[in-house]
Amino acid sequence: MSGIIAYIRRKLSVRVSLWVVFFAAIIFNVALGFLFYQAREAVRQEAVNRATQILDKTSLRVEGILNRVEVASDMTKWLVLRHPDQADSMFVYSRGLLLNNPDFYNCSIAFEPYYFKDKGRYFSAYTKHIGDSIRTTQGGSDNYQYFYSDWYLMPKLLEKPCWTEPYMDLDAATNTSEMVTSYCQALTDKQGQLIGVVNVSLSLNWLSQTISAVKPYPNSYSIMIGRGGTYFVHPDTTKITCQTIFTQTLEQPDTAMSALGHAMTNGEEGVKQMKINGEDSYVFYKPLGQTGCSMAIVCPESDIFSGFDRLRRTIMGIVTVGLLLMLYFFVRIITRELKPLRRLAHEAEAIASGQFDAVLPDFQRIDEIGQLSHSFGNMQQSLVKYIEELKNTTAQKASIESDLRIASNIQMGMLPEKFPSSTDRDDVQLYASLTPAKEVGGDLFDFYFRDEKLFFCIGDVSGKGVPASLFMAVTRSTFRTVSAHESMPDRIVSTMNKTIADMNKTHMFVTLFVGVLDLPTGRLRYCNAGHDAPLLVGAGVGELPCDSNIPVGFMPTWKYSLQETQVFTGTTIFLFTDGLTEAMDAQYEQFRMERVNDVANSALAQQQQEPRQLISQMTEAVHQFVGDAEQSDDLTMMAIQYIKQQRDVQMRKSIVLTNDTKEVPQLNTFVEEVCQTVGFDQTVTMQVKVAVEEAVVNVMKYAYPSGQSGDVTIEAASNDVRLKFTIIDSGKPFDPTVQAEVDTTLSAKQRNIGGLGIHIIRQNMDSINYERMDHLNVLTLRKKIIHN
Amino acid sequence: MTKRMKRTLYLFIIAMMATVQTVTAQDETIVFTPQWTAQAQFAGYYVAEAKGFYREAGVKVRIEHPSATQPAMDRLRKNECQATTLQLCQALEIVDGGIPLVNILQTSMNNAMVIVSARDKDPLTQKGARVGIWSVGFGQLAICMSIKDHLNYEWVHFAQNVNLFVAGALDATLAMSYNEYYQLVQAGINMTDKNVYRFCDHGYNVQEDGVYMNRDYYEKHKEQAHRFAQASKKGWEWAAQHPEETLDIVMQYVNKNYIATNRVMQRLMLHEVLRLQVDRESKKREFRLRPDMVRQASRLMVENQMLSHEVTYKELIDN
Repeated sequence: MSGIIAYIRRKLSVRVSLWVVFFAAIIFNVALGFLFYQAREAVRQEAVNRATQILDKTSLRVEGILNRVEVASDMTKWLVLRHPDQADSMFVYSRGLLLNNPDFYNCSIAFEPYYFKDKGRYFSAYTKHIGDSIRTTQGGSDNYQYFYSDWYLMPKLLEKPCWTEPYMDLDAATNTSEMVTSYCQALTDKQGQLIGVVNVSLSLNWLSQTISAVKPYPNSYSIMIGRGGTYFVHPDTTKITCQTIFTQTLEQPDTAMSALGHAMTNGEEGVKQMKINGEDSYVFYKPLGQTGCSMAIVCPESDIFSGFDRLRRTIMGIVTVGLLLMLYFFVRIITRELKPLRRLAHEAEAIASGQFDAVLPDFQRIDEIGQLSHSFGNMQQSLVKYIEELKNTTAQKASIESDLRIASNIQMGMLPEKFPSSTDRDDVQLYASLTPAKEVGGDLFDFYFRDEKLFFCIGDVSGKGVPASLFMAVTRSTFRTVSAHESMPDRIVSTMNKTIADMNKTHMFVTLFVGVLDLPTGRLRYCNAGHDAPLLVGAGVGELPCDSNIPVGFMPTWKYSLQETQVFTGTTIFLFTDGLTEAMDAQYEQFRMERVNDVANSALAQQQQEPRQLISQMTEAVHQFVGDAEQSDDLTMMAIQYIKQQRDVQMRKSIVLTNDTKEVPQLNTFVEEVCQTVGFDQTVTMQVKVAVEEAVVNVMKYAYPSGQSGDVTIEAASNDVRLKFTIIDSGKPFDPTVQAEVDTTLSAKQRNIGGLGIHIIRQNMDSINYERMDHLNVLTLRKKIIHN
Repeated sequence: MTKRMKRTLYLFIIAMMATVQTVTAQDETIVFTPQWTAQAQFAGYYVAEAKGFYREAGVKVRIEHPSATQPAMDRLRKNECQATTLQLCQALEIVDGGIPLVNILQTSMNNAMVIVSARDKDPLTQKGARVGIWSVGFGQLAICMSIKDHLNYEWVHFAQNVNLFVAGALDATLAMSYNEYYQLVQAGINMTDKNVYRFCDHGYNVQEDGVYMNRDYYEKHKEQAHRFAQASKKGWEWAAQHPEETLDIVMQYVNKNYIATNRVMQRLMLHEVLRLQVDRESKKREFRLRPDMVRQASRLMVENQMLSHEVTYKELIDN
């Protein structure tokens, strides 16, 4: 079956033909159905008419003889009543009637008991045919008390002439019996008293033969029933006189048969459609004169409609064969018409397999197939052309992709690749990752160390792809440039903003978080320009409070605010772009901040807050969440853990000087003592002295306004690894560390003031750090202690 | 048939039986003539003959039905039979007429007579109605009832069958619940609770069919009569247990005698006849004449001048 369906689906010709034949079949069926219905009705009506005619004809024939009986009976009655007292005349009348009507069965002129005194109880002049002769006898006896017979009682009781129910007439003399029906009429005297009954009988044989002969169809048959439904004519002879039309319904109720029986016994005329012996039949019925009998013609429906059914079968056969032929020819014709299409399909296959130069057949047709062939030729030419263009475009795209790959490499190269870990540094460890959604991205992060400070930033440029990546590059280099000379994040961001906004013709912007972590103290200064607030993962997990600043690149005049906080040892600052919180799974659900917090909490609980571990866990969580969904945005994360351990102070000294250079010798003495205490050799002591003197003298000279005296406090402290000098003054804020390095190749006159000092300090000390705290300038110089 | 006529007839029959009993004594065969043509009403006897119960009992029995030219009464008169079935009321009439009879087997324990009225009318409301009655003399109870209930029915004696009623010549007709009743149903007459009057339900539950013999004959052939009765009883009991096989046997007799009936009618008749054999009180097939019923019937008939004296139970049985 599935094979046939597959074949039909593959063959357009078969499919179209089937549709055509299908609709033709519907039209034929509807038309023929209507025709057959009408024809059947006509046949049915014809059958009804025919049966009715036959019934009428039979009825007339029967009534003809019945009338003769009735007339003869009337005549006899008239004769009898003329001489009712002459018993012997009755034999003459009785005999005369049969002589005149040889087809009658018998005749009785019977009288009431003892009517003729001399004749005794019984007197009935009974005449009957015996072969060719006629025998007349006295009919009544003790064994045949006629006055109890139906034929005698009926006219007496009904007080009118009537036909009896057929009965078996037994001739005692010859011991023969015959089924007869009798016409009886009462004889009354002048006073209206019943004196006897005239009975004229007809053999039922004649009636039976007449009715049995009625056979309008080969399998039809006739029946005759009496008043009580008794069968007197029936093809099944065992039923005759033994069964009534109701007999079968006594054990197997059959409402149709009962209704027919009642209609017939009530003397009705009509037609009924019903099942007889399991066969649909029509029954036409009509009463037979006044006999009380009713005849019916039973015509099986198959008989009535046999001719019609034969016609119908023939027509249906012709239609079926016609439709099959139609199907065959349609398939052949359509297949032939579609042959060029198959060739075309074959050539198209060749073209599809890459043979663009395949030669299309020229059908020389102007119909749809010709047009299709022509269009196909055009398509082939266009295809060749387009494929050539496609090759060029593909080559160009490959070139762009190559460029993009290079750009991606360059962009990735801009980002720091080496991350300080606890083995590299004792104060901070850091890790970051950037995964662009496309070849190049708009996210950025950067960090570097300068003067015991960690400068770092994370940002997200609006948009994606190449424009964003270029903007990111600009942002990153601006950050580097600006932060080289500026330690305060707000000023760094403000400067970057001004620079970027001024040259921002594309109206792009970048959200940026810039932080400066003072490594000796753990003090974090930061400025957030519209970026997601970082998390602090330490004693707990919490967001770093951030002011509402606009992203960088919008308004050059925007004043960004500075915020600061203390970062404790062990605390990790987790920075990220919105690529993390807005990472989407296949159902477009976002990762959201709650999950970021959950991962951070989980990492904290597992003591996994080290930068690499934290970012690894976060990355894994995002990958799990996103599943197979495509990455929607650049994803950047950076984690900075402050790990500075406070060491035991082994030595602490201080000195307070005024802002007078005369106090320098005292300073030198102090420094020498300190260096000696920590065990520096002469060379190192000299280096330290030069550096501290340079820094203190610088304060003495410039910190306070001219002529105003002020103090300079110098504190020295050491632990087992470093010696630290802290120079504190309350003068005007001044950060020497952001001064441009002196170009030592220039002459002294060509150099800017201050630059050389800081250069000397940097050359002699290991680190220099400036902090403005509580309106004080705090400059810290450190020198490593080398243990031998 | 008038009462006088019937009595004369019975007297004549029995007298004839008495005169020829010596002949039958020599011929040991008991000729048994049921009072009607072959039908399931006599199934037990057919069974006893067909199954060989009579032979087993050592009694020769030949069943000969009455015919139109030779009714049961005629056969009795000519001593062509030694046993016949009679209704209890008929037996009472005969005994009252001076012919002693012996009931050798009582089969019926209930009365089967009904009045069926035309046009769905209650027979009790039809005063003076024309009611059909058998000319051969069943229906004594109906006459008693008509008198007692002041219905004054006009009795129309008919020979047999239900044609007069079906033709509308009668207002009502007497019928046996096992025979004419079903003939009427078969003729399409609608039977309701209203148009059917059952005598058994109105204080006239008098037994009907029993097998009777002339007392003189009986006295001389007691053993034979007893065996005949027992074998007949066995036939009835077998019939009650094997109704379908019984029906087959009945139909053989029906066909042999060319009776215009059919198996459906005979099945209904057999079922009803067997039902009537079960005593209402004991719920058993008792096969005995009930003295109370004899007394009831006899007194009813005496009251209505149908008997000259009360015929007692003892007069009907073997003393």
